[in-house]
Amino acid sequence: MKSKTLDSKKLIALIVGAVVLLALPLVLPNYALLILSFWEIYIIAVSGLDLVFGYCGQISLGHAAFYAIGAYGSGMLHEYLGIPVFFTMIIAAFISAGVGALIAYPSSKLVFHFLSLASQAFGEIVYLLVSHSPGKITGNYQGFFSDYINLFGFELDTYTSFYYFGLVCVLVFLVIKTFMVKSKTGRAFTAIRENSHAADGMGINVRKYKVIAFTVSAFYTAYAGAMYLHLTKFINPDTFVLKQSVMFLTMLLFGGSGCLLGPVLGSFVVLLVNEVLRALQDYQMFVYGVLLLIVVVAMPGGLYGEVMRLVNFIKGKATKKAEVK
Amino acid sequence: MAPLLELKDFHYYYGNIHSVKGINLYVNEGEMVTLIGANGAGKTTTMQTISGLTSPKGIRGEIWFDGKKISGMKGHKISAMGLAHVLEGRHVFSKLTVEENLNMGAFMRKDSKNIKSDMDGVYKRFPRLLERKTQLAGTLSGGEQQMLAIGRALMARPKMILLDEPSLGLSPLITKEVFAAIREINREDGITIFFVEQNSKIALKTAHRGYVMQTGEMVIEDTCENLMSNADVQKAYLGGE
Repeated sequence: MKSKTLDSKKLIALIVGAVVLLALPLVLPNYALLILSFWEIYIIAVSGLDLVFGYCGQISLGHAAFYAIGAYGSGMLHEYLGIPVFFTMIIAAFISAGVGALIAYPSSKLVFHFLSLASQAFGEIVYLLVSHSPGKITGNYQGFFSDYINLFGFELDTYTSFYYFGLVCVLVFLVIKTFMVKSKTGRAFTAIRENSHAADGMGINVRKYKVIAFTVSAFYTAYAGAMYLHLTKFINPDTFVLKQSVMFLTMLLFGGSGCLLGPVLGSFVVLLVNEVLRALQDYQMFVYGVLLLIVVVAMPGGLYGEVMRLVNFIKGKATKKAEVK
Repeated sequence: MAPLLELKDFHYYYGNIHSVKGINLYVNEGEMVTLIGANGAGKTTTMQTISGLTSPKGIRGEIWFDGKKISGMKGHKISAMGLAHVLEGRHVFSKLTVEENLNMGAFMRKDSKNIKSDMDGVYKRFPRLLERKTQLAGTLSGGEQQMLAIGRALMARPKMILLDEPSLGLSPLITKEVFAAIREINREDGITIFFVEQNSKIALKTAHRGYVMQTGEMVIEDTCENLMSNADVQKAYLGGE
């Protein structure tokens, strides 16, 4: 009986949440919708990073590169080959996944700071490629213009329509992530994160699963990058610097890694902080540093971990009260 | 019948350092064999090379398991062949619960319906693990972690288990308990066991046959009974006169 009432409670919360999310565009101004659209993009990008860092335990300071490959890839496929925008996003994400696999194969032997340096180097290489491209095909520092997303003739040219589109994307990506994490592959990731020697002893092909984690992660982040391009219609290389990778990592760690809702919470808070402190843009890295210090010192589980602790605390109190009565 | 595990003129080099100098060793199916020796004798190197955890560059000679040459193979492939290893220092997944750890042991298995009953079997063998089912493995005591590591190896339904220093860091009482369990696993489940141990006394009491290694060379090979009455072994490893 008890679990049944809990389930119905969860269901109600879910329905209320869905209604609120669907009704937001009716009440919010355009600016807020733009922010929410960015939130959706970051949820997908950071969830991708979570697969490789939170679940598989492999640090990456080069995810801005995948973000760039998604954005520039999609833009260039549309510009030079005339493929409709939605398809270019998916193709670009697949290309990025391929690049992710290529990078992961040799670097799967690296751990900790060695891996972070290698991934950072990869990020710099991609940054240099898009900012000094042969024949200026990426527009170099002048930036690159593109179109809105075109869904079978229906152009997503308002923030409202993009918001709804993003909502569907987030749902799809989070559902895929949930299934992946619960599958055999997800268990292999966790085993590798916890102890790669022992994982080897369980018959887990450590290298293979590390490559899988990077590949899927690259797909997620690149798709988010493509969404970003077709929301703002303009990109330049400055978006894809190390700062962006650090932002993804901050969002993940602040929200809580290795769970579904951590990236959702973390990207929201960091995005808000960025917006509120827009005047202090030059000090963004400092802000990330402070946020990461808070995580390290005060809340190792991230925001999600703290929320769950609070929930458990309240629940524990409630059951204690019930016992007393 | 060929032995289940066989090392033929096995050498191991760490760069220029010749750490194992041509040993021959075999373990028959159903047997329980131990390898003893002082620090630096090359026991762990031998063990880790069998499991495929050392760099294959240093291997000379051959290692055969279950009719296949495994020297130089990747570790995960060797474990998938049914040669489970319990590493020195246990290596449990400390942030996962006891149950999740055991489940991880069954990673390669495709017969998911038997996993539950095998897990019950492990709990029956190690009742302490059942009590601590939902506890994080990192919070267990050393002995419990060793039991968990052995239980996790059992979950793979291996043909053979390699144990590296099962008594490491355990109190004498817990050591006895762990070795009693190892003996049962060999006797009741029929799993072949090969283990390395510093505590020579309990090792020779537990196993059927034993090998004694000294600075990379195999010095004596005999049944455990004979080894225990061997004057040299007594003097060097059992603290006798």
